[in-house]
Amino acid sequence: MIKVTGLYKSFGPLEVLRGIDVHVKKSEVVCVIGASGSGKSTLLRCINLLEKPTKGNIFIEGADITSESTDINKLRQKVGMVFQQFNLFPHMTVIENLMLAPSKLLKEPEERIKKRAEELLEKVGIPEKANEYPSRLSGGQKQRVAIARALAMNPDIMLFDEPTSALDPEMVSEVLSVMRQLAGEGMTMIIVTHEMGFAKEAADRVLFMEEGIIEEEGPPSLLFAEPKRQRTRDFLNKVLS
Amino acid sequence: MGILKPLADAIYSNLIREDRYMLLVRGLVSTLEITLFALLVGLIIGLFTATVRIFKIKGVEKAAALYVNVIRGTPAVVQLIIIYYAILGSVNLDKLLVASIAFGINSGAYVSELIRAGVGAVDKGQMEAARSLGLSSAQSMRYVVLPQAVKNILPALVNEAIMLLKETAIAGYIALDDLTRAGNIIRSRTYDAYTPFLLVAVVYLYSTTVLSILAEKLERRLGRSD
Repeated sequence: MIKVTGLYKSFGPLEVLRGIDVHVKKSEVVCVIGASGSGKSTLLRCINLLEKPTKGNIFIEGADITSESTDINKLRQKVGMVFQQFNLFPHMTVIENLMLAPSKLLKEPEERIKKRAEELLEKVGIPEKANEYPSRLSGGQKQRVAIARALAMNPDIMLFDEPTSALDPEMVSEVLSVMRQLAGEGMTMIIVTHEMGFAKEAADRVLFMEEGIIEEEGPPSLLFAEPKRQRTRDFLNKVLS
Repeated sequence: MGILKPLADAIYSNLIREDRYMLLVRGLVSTLEITLFALLVGLIIGLFTATVRIFKIKGVEKAAALYVNVIRGTPAVVQLIIIYYAILGSVNLDKLLVASIAFGINSGAYVSELIRAGVGAVDKGQMEAARSLGLSSAQSMRYVVLPQAVKNILPALVNEAIMLLKETAIAGYIALDDLTRAGNIIRSRTYDAYTPFLLVAVVYLYSTTVLSILAEKLERRLGRSD
């Protein structure tokens, strides 16, 4: 479904990604872990071209998205993204946040879009907030709205960029449970996270990144229990102790 | 009584005699007209210039930057004189129109920067979130960034109107009878500098105060949904 080959990304003289190869299958849930600055978020942002790769290719369902002929906007409709800082549109109500992109981009009647938006709010557990402005929501509620907003475009893939890092601890679980539910429904997901517990339990595969490369990868049962590389062991010792 | 007599004399000679107050009234009307038209011209130029610079439209982007730099780096009074004599002086145009265009060209540079700053102040994540949903950059601008930017820009625009209103006091350099020049005309007839110019100052202050109150109200109303 997603195939990344030989991906490099530099910001000026700073090489953030130095040769990444990843293959994500349909319905797979992949968690990306690693220290700050290891390139996790940049990798994620390259997959929907919020960052333009310096070198290498990214294929989504066979189409090379790095080629000039790709319609970036069409591609992004199929790849939902959830940000650490939620990035809800503050001048719109919750339901308007969900409806904006579908009503501008999908050729569907307004009522159907509205109905779907309401169903999505139901799904993430906050149907009663439909007409509130984002400033009236808690962090956890904001992130659940952001997930619903991304789902409103019916994406095939969901990318999560540290979705719980900006949340108060007591709000982390409500967001993770929505993500768990999505994974259960067979959504293809790539999640950059610091929640090792979640990665252990929900991921099919975990990638450990260090200094712009994938240092080690494997199913969580193996990677967490018996990491092969010294750097993986060091990192896990630090975050799990 | 000793104080009142000279005061009454001053008011009589500066305002009543030969209907001199009408000079001030007509001057104020001219000042307001120039301000209003210049603001409109400035808004159009500013919108255009800001668009060119925000979207980095090739070919014109450098010209837009140059325009802003030249206008901001030279005195308005010099710009006014150059535009009047060198550019528009050769055609027979109404002075009021010339002044409006000149002040509009001047204001456009500042308005452009206001708009750019207002758009720049909207969090970068807003654009990214909109783009990540598949909206084009124009759609993201229109539905997500601009509505938020307007909140930053509108109060600043009223401030620009205040600055512009005061700036038009130099219109006398092209012999246009604005409020300041009206004061000057009265002074030259009565040989009294204090009374006409104190009056002129009060009228300016009153006009800008009205605008300031408007700006405050606007800011409060726009801030409500935050």
